[in-house]
Amino acid sequence: MTQSLAVVVTSAPTSNLSYTAFKIVEQAIQSNITVTGVFFYQDGVLNASKYLAIPSDELQIISLWKKLNQQNQVPLHLCSTAAEKRGLIFPDDDNFLIHPEFTLSGLGELVMLTNQADRLVQL
Amino acid sequence: MTSNSKKVAILNTKAPFSQTAAKAALDVALIYGSFEQETSLFFQGDGVYQLIDKQQPDIIGTKDFLKTFSAFEFYDLEKIYVCQQSLIERNLPPEFHIEGVMVVSPEEFSLLLHQHNAVLTF
Repeated sequence: MTQSLAVVVTSAPTSNLSYTAFKIVEQAIQSNITVTGVFFYQDGVLNASKYLAIPSDELQIISLWKKLNQQNQVPLHLCSTAAEKRGLIFPDDDNFLIHPEFTLSGLGELVMLTNQADRLVQL
Repeated sequence: MTSNSKKVAILNTKAPFSQTAAKAALDVALIYGSFEQETSLFFQGDGVYQLIDKQQPDIIGTKDFLKTFSAFEFYDLEKIYVCQQSLIERNLPPEFHIEGVMVVSPEEFSLLLHQHNAVLTF
């Protein structure tokens, strides 16, 4: 039985797979599965962008991720190299362009998450 | 690091130079390798093009990161599987720019993948 879960998000916020990833995490929490963390890689890092403007009548995926961190303390890790490549790192202030609920991490964090969790799911 | 180390499979499905997926997969594979994580590399579909010799990415302004594949053994990434069917469909000979690549049938490919605890697809 899966008791702990780590999720890797490689899909952009414009992809519905990001929402599927969120739903998996949400459902896991409701089923008392420990979510050790979400790791955002490739275009997935755009899920942390502070200045992403999604029309108000569309799904607010960024707010959902933030809520997950605020209410359930799920660690949200961003691959810093992937974030740099996509213009998310402001030279004078690392966190200027990303929401504070997200943490800049290295790929080593992904290895840790893989080992800590019973199961790793990627979307 | 916790002791319950996992067997990790990196599944490559994209051609090397059209997108950044192949480079992202390589970065991940090398990190798992450097953390002494048991990691295997799988190549399927257009991902098989990553193993083909004599490519010239410089003419499209791309860095030849495939050269780094020759460092796999230093990272203990010794299990490299390529799908035979994917090679046949693309009329590619089983000649690769690195050594130790194992050509396996789709059935074996599937069985081997299932022997891993985590699969990351790029």
